[in-house]
Amino acid sequence: MVTEKRFMMGNEAIARGAAESGVKVVAGYPGTPASEIVTSHLDFPGIHVEWSANEKVALEIALGASLTGVRALAVMKHNGTNAATDFLMHLNYTGVRGGLVLVSADDPGGNSSQNEEDTRIPTHLYAHLPVLDPFSPAEAKQMMQAAYELSEQTELCYVLRPVARVCHARATIELGEVPKAGRQPEFVDDRSRFIMSAVVEKTAGGQMRPVVRHHWLNEKGQQLLALAEESPFNWVEEGEGKTGLIGCGIGYAYVKEAEQMLDRQFPVLKLGTLPLPRRKLVEFARRMECLVVYEETEPVVERMIKEILFEEGVQVQVLGRSSFLPGEGELSPAVVLDSLSKLDPNLSTADQRLPPLAIPLPLRTRTQCVGCAYRGLLHVLQGVVRKTKGIVAGDIGCHDMGSFPPLELQSTIYCMGSSIPMATGLAYSGLGRPVFAIMGDSTFFHNGMLGLINAVYQGVKMVVIICDNATTAMTGFQPHPGSPLNLRGERVQPISVEKVVRALQEGASVQTVDPYQIGEVKEALEKAVAEPGVSVIIAAAPCYLLSRREEVTPFERRPVRVDEEKCTGCLVCVNDFGCPALQVQDGVVTIDQITCVQCGVCVEVCSGGAIS
Amino acid sequence: MKVDLVIAGVGGQGNLFASEVISRYALGRGYNVLGTETIGAAQRGGSVVSHIRISEGPIYSPLVPSGQADLLLGLEPVEMLRHSGRLSPQGRYLLNMYKIPTVMSNMGLDHYPTEGEIERALASLGVSGCIIPATQRAYEIGNAVLANVVMLGALCAVSSFFDRQAMRETLATTAPRKVLELNLTAFDEGFALACRNLQPSS
Repeated sequence: MVTEKRFMMGNEAIARGAAESGVKVVAGYPGTPASEIVTSHLDFPGIHVEWSANEKVALEIALGASLTGVRALAVMKHNGTNAATDFLMHLNYTGVRGGLVLVSADDPGGNSSQNEEDTRIPTHLYAHLPVLDPFSPAEAKQMMQAAYELSEQTELCYVLRPVARVCHARATIELGEVPKAGRQPEFVDDRSRFIMSAVVEKTAGGQMRPVVRHHWLNEKGQQLLALAEESPFNWVEEGEGKTGLIGCGIGYAYVKEAEQMLDRQFPVLKLGTLPLPRRKLVEFARRMECLVVYEETEPVVERMIKEILFEEGVQVQVLGRSSFLPGEGELSPAVVLDSLSKLDPNLSTADQRLPPLAIPLPLRTRTQCVGCAYRGLLHVLQGVVRKTKGIVAGDIGCHDMGSFPPLELQSTIYCMGSSIPMATGLAYSGLGRPVFAIMGDSTFFHNGMLGLINAVYQGVKMVVIICDNATTAMTGFQPHPGSPLNLRGERVQPISVEKVVRALQEGASVQTVDPYQIGEVKEALEKAVAEPGVSVIIAAAPCYLLSRREEVTPFERRPVRVDEEKCTGCLVCVNDFGCPALQVQDGVVTIDQITCVQCGVCVEVCSGGAIS
Repeated sequence: MKVDLVIAGVGGQGNLFASEVISRYALGRGYNVLGTETIGAAQRGGSVVSHIRISEGPIYSPLVPSGQADLLLGLEPVEMLRHSGRLSPQGRYLLNMYKIPTVMSNMGLDHYPTEGEIERALASLGVSGCIIPATQRAYEIGNAVLANVVMLGALCAVSSFFDRQAMRETLATTAPRKVLELNLTAFDEGFALACRNLQPSS
């Protein structure tokens, strides 16, 4: 039989692994680097795939399905795993029925995230669940398949923790069969497990149920240790010298790369599981004088190794990210090479590099796309905020780029849904300045509406702007509960942000505006600032990039040019609006016709009438 | 035998499509390919970088190690210069001279280098390469978005690893059918431009 192979993204390989394992229910919330794992399941009929309202909802859905014996998958990025941690801290005590895998994708280096946290900590050190950490797309697929088997064998939720470089790597993957008929679901009550509550457990001598279930989880730890020992994802490679290199997940790939570049083989311990294979580790460590641990991103394995070696009385120096390697940022072949040359100056490749660049380079920050509805909105909001000396609490989404130059509008950005509660606190402080909160529609449904409900009920005076483009644009246009088409492409009745907000209170102050009409936006904002309580503005217009795919535009195209005679050089269009199509050459503004999409918003921005 | 490529540009310049064509070309010739890219938040006018690694043997790191790239493709000059440290001293560059100012250079808070400064900075690296007006030419033949395809044609003039005819065939099976002709024209234009502008290897 010829094995079929296909070149694919790591995220597709992960989805393929789940599909070949017979997964039946897949739920997640979009977030780079994990998003394509969910959408890739659409290729397989018979699998229920959805974007859920948030990550906690997705994980709860996955366990609900698992309790009927079918296999389920929850997918999220690291920040999302934080949102799901409350549920995670209960499902670890109950265990699962059908195989359940949580994919928690990390973003070392924070290339697409607000932080670079390491979710091995909440999932393994905190929830005590087994974690698999792949070094390549191919291994990620194998790990998915193993995880479903092991999840049922141990009755535990397994965690796959790929880093962005594995999710976004593209490689050739061997394909197997995707089972056609799924397992039949069956629900059997077991209240002693699935009712997590402070209740006395008669069969356990009157102990409290949480203690009984905690004991069950601790017992599972022993089974996991034995499984780690025989796992195909941990192995030893022999090499020269007494410095052992420990490659965890993608760290192993960089160690192997360094070996190729130096044309040398080191003793290597490749690790892909948590808990660690204790015996394998101790046997390896006994033969070494020094161990260097390469892992993303916190010194998790390094500290576990130190603990194990201390208990076993093995005297070996253990180096890693707690002090010897950089404590933050992404690993790379260069990090491995630099660390090796620190230990042995003969191991240097510095002569193979080009001289550093002779000129400084301008930094490039993200900005609104050309044609984005939110650029005009943010411009007008900036004007009102300046005039009223207001403070803007921001949130996650495309509008968050208003916090960078040129606008520098939002004063805070934390995590999904933080804007309204933080604005509430700013208002309570007695500062006496108007407060604004700005969030997107997907964030509103994720958990942002809870902050709004609280603010409305408490009667806080603030202006809330909800940017509603009917999609999760930032992460690649995934549908949310306000989108007219769901992930499966089915036409559904979208939940209206406006109707939800109006339903919160009799006489709620709600205005819906077209953000391309900046005069209309200004009027609405000025009215909202004067309101006594929460005043909500919904800036509703489709995402330009998404509309363009469907060959429609959310505005009437209008060719624009700058009249040099009328341009006073005030640069308001650049400094307080900042469309990338507006370029300054020798103090004169021009419109780059290659970049311009003719939305015409800049015409209104220029008070001198120089753009027409 | 190995070829390591880095493609640097700005979100929306078609970096990922160019990587796809290159990867498919190498796979079609029986090589192992491993690649990665920065995507996601970087799409909104930020930097986008693709790494493509082609080898007869096993490949481990999806990132091209510093100083190892055989080819550096710049869809935008400043983004290419930002990643010049990836280039091997024996490597070559291919640059689309189409400057995309940054927010802060427009505001006068940062200096965007002039063409002369860009050329001198490249010369000081001591590597050979080629500069072409790919975006300008793509705009002239119908769509500035095809600058990436102009660059693919040019790549075949810059690197002997890429056979012009075979690459063109790969493009033909990758590009959307309704814009196929325009893609092939852009490809041929790129090859011709690079043949004219190629500097002899030092």
